[in-house]
Amino acid sequence: MAQVIAAKTRPTSAPWKRRNSRNILLVTLASVLPAAVAAAVTVLLGLDGAIGLLVLFVPLQLIASVGIGGYLFKKRGRQDAALIVFTVFFTVLVAVLLSSVLVAVFEAGLRMMRWSFISQNATYISPTTSLDYGGLGHAVLGSILVVGFTTLVTVPLGIGVAIYLTESRASGRNFIRSLIQSMSGLPSVVSGLFIYSAMIVTHWSGQSGITGSLALMPLMLPTVARVCEEALRLVPTDLRSAALGLGAPNYRMFLQVVLPAAKSGIVTAVLLGVARIIGETAPLLLTVNPSAGTNLNIFAGQIETLPTYLFGNLSLSTDYSVQRAWGAALIVLFLVLIIFTLTRAIGGNKQLKTPKKRK
Amino acid sequence: MTQLITPQAHLRSEDINVWFGERHVLSDVNLTFPENQVTALIGPSGCGKSTFIRTLNRMHELIPGAGLSGAVLLDGQDIYGDGVNPVDVRIKIGMVFQKPNPFPTMSIKENILSGLKLSGRKVTNADELVETSLRRASIWNEVKDRLNEPAISLSGGQQQRLCIARSLAMEPQVLLMDEPCSALDPGSTRRIEETIEEISESMTIVIVTHNMQQAQRVSQQTAFFLAEDGNPGTVVEFGATEDVFNRPIDPRTNDYVNGHFG
Ligand SMILES: Nc1ncnc2c1ncn2[C@@H]1O[C@H](COP(=O)(O)OP(=O)(O)OP(=O)(O)O)[C@@H](O)[C@H]1O
Ligand SMILES: [Mg+2]
Repeated sequence: MAQVIAAKTRPTSAPWKRRNSRNILLVTLASVLPAAVAAAVTVLLGLDGAIGLLVLFVPLQLIASVGIGGYLFKKRGRQDAALIVFTVFFTVLVAVLLSSVLVAVFEAGLRMMRWSFISQNATYISPTTSLDYGGLGHAVLGSILVVGFTTLVTVPLGIGVAIYLTESRASGRNFIRSLIQSMSGLPSVVSGLFIYSAMIVTHWSGQSGITGSLALMPLMLPTVARVCEEALRLVPTDLRSAALGLGAPNYRMFLQVVLPAAKSGIVTAVLLGVARIIGETAPLLLTVNPSAGTNLNIFAGQIETLPTYLFGNLSLSTDYSVQRAWGAALIVLFLVLIIFTLTRAIGGNKQLKTPKKRK
Repeated sequence: MTQLITPQAHLRSEDINVWFGERHVLSDVNLTFPENQVTALIGPSGCGKSTFIRTLNRMHELIPGAGLSGAVLLDGQDIYGDGVNPVDVRIKIGMVFQKPNPFPTMSIKENILSGLKLSGRKVTNADELVETSLRRASIWNEVKDRLNEPAISLSGGQQQRLCIARSLAMEPQVLLMDEPCSALDPGSTRRIEETIEEISESMTIVIVTHNMQQAQRVSQQTAFFLAEDGNPGTVVEFGATEDVFNRPIDPRTNDYVNGHFG
């Protein structure tokens, strides 16, 4: 006879949390009271907000949480409470800082958003021309060209360095690795100065998109190389052994087994590299000659990029040009967003398709 | 020490010595693996069984700091000889590892075909090859409806049998197996043992195992490895499985196969 087991209602979802109304009340009090007290005291005494936050709220919250945590769970509760207070506080702090930057850019930038701003260039536009005329289309194109060319050259180079560092047993690896590491500490203006003094001052080449690209390469290379190296290193030795054990030559093992396994890491490396250089201003100021018109030839002539457009308008410091600079900042953010989404969609984590239904 | 040298020796190791850096871990290993026979390598942990089996298809040299002296003869030809390409050696002498290692980015079917593709050979009638390989590893019935699913969606035991199937698809002359059943349940172990028995009709097999019953069930000859306090590992006894387990010559072998060690 089949036995019917009566369904039980779950008394508490998690017995280890010791949930009952008194404990819930205590925890709620510990979470709300310090904030309330700190806010009230700050307002009543007319204290500075930062003082209220750091001198009143954080210690109060710490005392309350540790007290209640210790009361409910003894030593473990005290330690947990302290850790939670600190992590939540710093997480919120960083989130607030970051989002305030974003809010500022969006707030000021969105006012500039109109089709003409994106589609037009800046010929015949003076710092006092109405915001309805002129735009940064030429700078968007220039940025895409300069950053694109840099990426085209640097990504294969960076991947090559990563392969050398992970796949070969050459004795020069440690030297190259420290070289790459110190390169990532290179101030971007130095990179610009180097190209400026090596190529432009010596009249090898005028300022053009290419000189800008060259100045960006040393900045992008270490990022790509190091993240790629990490991605390749994460591929388990087991897989390499499996491939070699099946009679694969090294290059096939690498191309057919290691590379696919490291693919999403390599895509990340490229993205981080692009993100590293897309807003770089200092090297471009030295190596690129901004123009108001559109120039699609990166090998010669003046060319505008987003960072130089932004910087140029900012230094004109009229109301209108500062507005335009904010607009450019927002466009840079959007551009990064678009590049990230596109690359993720094209080359991201390709999962093997699981058939939807099996009969 | 019994020596077993048959005229139709398929694979032979001659005076194999192995070093890791300055450390001597294997000393003078002379073993003969006759054609279409199963040889079991037994011995306590750390005595050099995996190291030895890796010297047999030149996987050993991939470890940084590895050193070797001696020769391994396949059909009388030294696989470490001048001008021998390790890649060709590994195609002829396949290997199944202790831990299942299917390629995670490939489907079950692609895993089976990966050996051919990785060694740069053309795949003709792929479906047939996939089916026969999977059947020989007795996993066909479990996966025939999901050949295009990722290989890592299989259970550990299924993955191991998939790896065996992957090696079988290469049709090696010799198959080296390093504790292929160490992560498997009795059922899968039994099936792999049946597989070994079946495939030994067409290839020479060397298997490392910690399971005395398994060694007795699947192998015709057995080699007992031992590394005594700080000394490099060496073969203490080598002979027909029957003799090694029932009439061992060396008392240390007797202790080990009867579980009296340490
Ligand atoms: N990559 C390596 N580098 C340095 N020493 C190693 C390396 N691999 C193995 N050894 C050493 O060689 C000796 C033999 O190891 P091996 O893996 O062959 O043992 P084993 O007999 O297979 O043991 P187990 O039964 O536990 O698998 C051990 O002392 C080990 O420390
Ligand atoms: Mg081992």
